[in-house]
Amino acid sequence: MPPGLDNLKHIVVLMMENRSFDHMLGALKAQDPRIDGITDQSTNPDITGAQIKAQSLAEFQGQLDPDPDHHFPAVDLQIFNGDTTAGRAPTMQGFIKSYFNQQRNVPHSQKIMYYFTPDKLPVLTTLATEFAVFNRWFASIPGPTICNRAFAHYGTSFGRVDMNLLYVNEPFKSIYNRLISANPKHTAKLYYYDQTSSTMEITNLLQNQPELFGTFQQFLDDCDKGDLPDYSFVEPNYSDHDSDVGEELASDQHPDHNIQAGEQFIASVYNAIKQNADLWQSTALLVVYDEHGGIYDHVPPPPCPPDGFTASPNDTGTGMEFKFDRLGVRVPAILISPWIPKGTVVDGRIFEHASIPATITKFFLGDYSPRSPREASAEIFLEPAAQPNAANNLLSLAVMRTDCPAFA
Amino acid sequence: MTVIRVPVPSKNSFNPDRPVSGLLKAQILHLQDAEKRLPLDLRSNIYINAIKTEGEAADYVRQVTEAIHEAHIDAGRRRTKRRRKARPSIEIAAAADERSVRKTKKKARKKPARKKA
Repeated sequence: MPPGLDNLKHIVVLMMENRSFDHMLGALKAQDPRIDGITDQSTNPDITGAQIKAQSLAEFQGQLDPDPDHHFPAVDLQIFNGDTTAGRAPTMQGFIKSYFNQQRNVPHSQKIMYYFTPDKLPVLTTLATEFAVFNRWFASIPGPTICNRAFAHYGTSFGRVDMNLLYVNEPFKSIYNRLISANPKHTAKLYYYDQTSSTMEITNLLQNQPELFGTFQQFLDDCDKGDLPDYSFVEPNYSDHDSDVGEELASDQHPDHNIQAGEQFIASVYNAIKQNADLWQSTALLVVYDEHGGIYDHVPPPPCPPDGFTASPNDTGTGMEFKFDRLGVRVPAILISPWIPKGTVVDGRIFEHASIPATITKFFLGDYSPRSPREASAEIFLEPAAQPNAANNLLSLAVMRTDCPAFA
Repeated sequence: MTVIRVPVPSKNSFNPDRPVSGLLKAQILHLQDAEKRLPLDLRSNIYINAIKTEGEAADYVRQVTEAIHEAHIDAGRRRTKRRRKARPSIEIAAAADERSVRKTKKKARKKPARKKA
């Protein structure tokens, strides 16, 4: 077995909020043409018909207010530009139109095309260039947060395309329940920021199994003591609020929260793992965003195997049913480990959030059923060495790196 | 090893008076649904339609999240108590069983014989 996989004992997933790949990492194409980011062809028509280019004018806060619409009908407009015919193709030409609908202000609607330069996002762009960045990681659904996060926990949203209450239908268990009920038993935990921020997984997990949860302080302590579970899912702080230690800034990067607070949070997760030498060499950290938040990306979401559910025309709000057979908009995703060669760009394979339970299950439990059709067909990002696809192993170095960056 | 400096957000960024986002609204609704299943004494009594700001949302989120944890801790304690009490109750149950057998016999004896027609 490659030493990186041989050493791998912990997988940590940090899921941030509502930013597209081009918005956060698209500018890296200028540094490394292998990264599929912003080009001169990255344009969208505004409501007057003028072609507006993507511009490096994104600001940390105060620009995307109101929050760009990212519910199912708005994302359909962003991807298909209002085409509702049977043979329609995704063009990614409806982003400005969609944002215009919210304020009916032409200059303001063009801000949906703004992206960050790497110097503004030193944490995310350093991690992307130092470790493995995914050119094709998509949200699971062209829709909002809750249903997309469900794919990370269950490998499916059980037919939901919205933010409403989502109750698990057996037989698809959460990744946490699969691990803790396995024989031999594995350990798994969801770490939310604090009790005041809590989790987005309330309906099934928090209210029935609160023992699965810990706070971010506990995550830091577990890293420090070397007590991290086999699998950890970390949630950022979802709100500006006061706490015993003072003012807590939302760190989820959801518009219109401060982007730099999210950068600090990502750095703190990375540092917590890296500062414990044993943990660092035995852990893989995935930083990923739940969905694009209505913000421009130029890569059309590809079709995918249907999930066995159908959302009705009423549920989608588009007048068309949805069989969960197309992915959502592309999001940033970075895999971090000292066993990954510097500057790895993962290309050619398509990932989505169902890849998370698919990978964790395959890595810790091996073959497992039942799983949703989407999860069963999802690409995995950590290949067990004995599998035929071992050539896709990203933790491929024979000797662990000692040149990985630190954040201060 | 390269050390990357992480910029600190502006102090003016903190704004608990920011209107609640669609995400926080959904979180509040999910917590309200969970709250309906809590014991009465652990419910927040906060009227969620009056929550307008992130700070107010945060207060509700904290109260219900803490209450969910508390409810499960309470239930765990009661479970442990019941288990501890379980042993002596087996003897009582056995005695009760014996008495009920005796009663049944008595009753059987007392039952008047059917008169022949």
